Amino acid sequence: MSILVNKNTKVLCQGITGTQATFHIRRSLEYGTNVVGGITPGKGGELHLGLPVFNTVKDAVAETGATASVMYVPAVHVKSAIKEAAEAELELVVCIADSVPLRDMMEIKSILRGSKTKLIGPNTPGIITPGQARLGIFPENIHKPGRIGVVSRSSTLTYEAVLETARAGEGQSTVIGLGDDMLIGIDFVDVLEHFHKDKSTKAIVLIGQLGGTFEETVANYYKNLPKRKPVIAFVAGDAIPYGHKMGYAGDIITHGHITAQDKKDAFAEAGMIVVDNINDIHLRLKELE
Amino acid sequence: MNIHEYQAKKILSRYGVNIPKGGVAYTPEEAKRVASKVSARGPWMLKAQVQSGARKKGYFLEKEAGKRGGIRLVKLKKEITKQAEQMLGSTLVTVQTGPKGKPVSRLYVEAYNKVERIFYAGIAVDRESATLTLLVAPIKQEEITSLIINSPHKILRLPLSLNGRTSPSQIKEILSFLKLPPQSAKSLKSLIRGMHKVFIEYDATMVEINPVGLLPSGDIIALDAKISFDDNALYRHPDIRKLQDDYETSERELKAMRSKFSYSEFDGSIGCIVNGDGIALAAMDMLRKKGIGTACFLNVKGGVDKDKIASGIKIILTNPRVEGVLINILGGFLRCNLIAEGIILAASEVGLNVPLVVRFEGTNKDEAKDILQKSKFPITLAETMEDAINLLVQAVEESD
Repeated sequence: MSILVNKNTKVLCQGITGTQATFHIRRSLEYGTNVVGGITPGKGGELHLGLPVFNTVKDAVAETGATASVMYVPAVHVKSAIKEAAEAELELVVCIADSVPLRDMMEIKSILRGSKTKLIGPNTPGIITPGQARLGIFPENIHKPGRIGVVSRSSTLTYEAVLETARAGEGQSTVIGLGDDMLIGIDFVDVLEHFHKDKSTKAIVLIGQLGGTFEETVANYYKNLPKRKPVIAFVAGDAIPYGHKMGYAGDIITHGHITAQDKKDAFAEAGMIVVDNINDIHLRLKELE
Repeated sequence: MNIHEYQAKKILSRYGVNIPKGGVAYTPEEAKRVASKVSARGPWMLKAQVQSGARKKGYFLEKEAGKRGGIRLVKLKKEITKQAEQMLGSTLVTVQTGPKGKPVSRLYVEAYNKVERIFYAGIAVDRESATLTLLVAPIKQEEITSLIINSPHKILRLPLSLNGRTSPSQIKEILSFLKLPPQSAKSLKSLIRGMHKVFIEYDATMVEINPVGLLPSGDIIALDAKISFDDNALYRHPDIRKLQDDYETSERELKAMRSKFSYSEFDGSIGCIVNGDGIALAAMDMLRKKGIGTACFLNVKGGVDKDKIASGIKIILTNPRVEGVLINILGGFLRCNLIAEGIILAASEVGLNVPLVVRFEGTNKDEAKDILQKSKFPITLAETMEDAINLLVQAVEESD
């Protein structure tokens, strides 16, 4: 079991003939991901990595029945690529690119509001269900199938959290990087909802980040859940001096100054298990049950 | 990217925002000339153009600059040259600049406007709703942050459209919230619409006017202005990119920026090289628990160019504060072997005089470890981030 993607998920790659896409799709295919085709406008009808290439997402969906896509396109093409995926009614889109302009992201969020498409990212390592499907840039060798769900806003700390599950002798049900950017697609609440429905997930590791109020929102959601799976949570940033320029200045005027400790307090108050050192996660995992 | 007040005011005034008469001056003589041009008899405002808030409450490091802050009201024309002489070339320290302060290379000389009262107006992005948000609030001093924390009910928040058009009903709502007289309606509309349009058309991340003043005539005037632009969208605005002022940025920061890395300095002694802000913060937290501060961190992000990585590592190795270096890389997109090659390249060029502990995980980690082990440099390898920090702290203590 897993959430959002598994070995049967039919996956497309938008911009499949690009260098990074070629490198990572080859690896994802070797990993066993059910990639069924790709899209590069003007190259429809060709084969790439043994997969059919289409001119549009719509054509690709009609031909393959795919429900998900991963895109390695550069930031300038992200808005049009996500718009196309939403119009083709894909269920899930994973966007790896960093440096997507903020205004483009606001427009993307407004397009997605009225659609059935869920976005992971941008600026994310993607989503991996170990042993089944890899949509993104994850180093496969650190993952193995298991019962811990991992979700993180910080890309690099996603890997750190996965390594912690391994140190505890555990594997992962699904691992999701929500993305390091200011505006992101799905958030902690969406993912926690899925993990709670997934029978194979026994516990969740959640890595928050400074900036915005995503952590406060998920704490509030978790607190009010009737039946809860254990969540081990961490937020980095205690050592950042007050007022140091980190992230987005607009956060302060929209929400005031929220520290890492404020976020950890919100988690603890909601009943999550909070660690102050990310390398303590494996200890808390071992204590479960 | 941030710009100076006078640049922000110029842009906003092109979009209909009412601003005081003013001009920029690089020398005391120029300040005097500009002063005569903007107002015959004064008073005038002399404003240090450094990219920081709270300039008025700041102070200058140099004694010769006098005791007054970075924003000075000058009533007599003969005082202009003297005050400008004090401020130009001096270093202004504010709560936002840190103790090192920022050098003042130019002043903005403005006609002083007596106002009846002031208010705050700002546009920023609310992350969770992914919408543009306008905030307005009546204020006495320029402390919007304390108002946000302590009295959020005193702030009006309105969602703004992405097409850059403010609706007439929103203007009315602001007018009544701020209890402005009816004759202010027209210039309030110009202010809000101007800010909104600038935000959208220039890909800003924040547009702030703090404070806005209400003139006795009922007209509204922008007494200060701040615009931050989205670095990721600068390619759409070459005219804005040209306004980038390197004068305030340190040589090390500039080098990092040229390689598209992010670089931050603090007042500790350990240099960290990482490939994500999250991992940098987690490492800083662990160091702090050991009672040790971070001198700087360099985030090489998804870098794939060995030479650029080497130039980044050199920035850290040549920072005089640095007494030990931690390299913590979790390779996904980024391949660890490139970092290893970058380390060797940098160390060969500038030497390695401080303890260096490296932790690799992820893509090509074994190859990377191999490269370091075969080199002639005394580099320590660690398995986890915690190990790496313990080993580094130990090595730094031993080398003292």
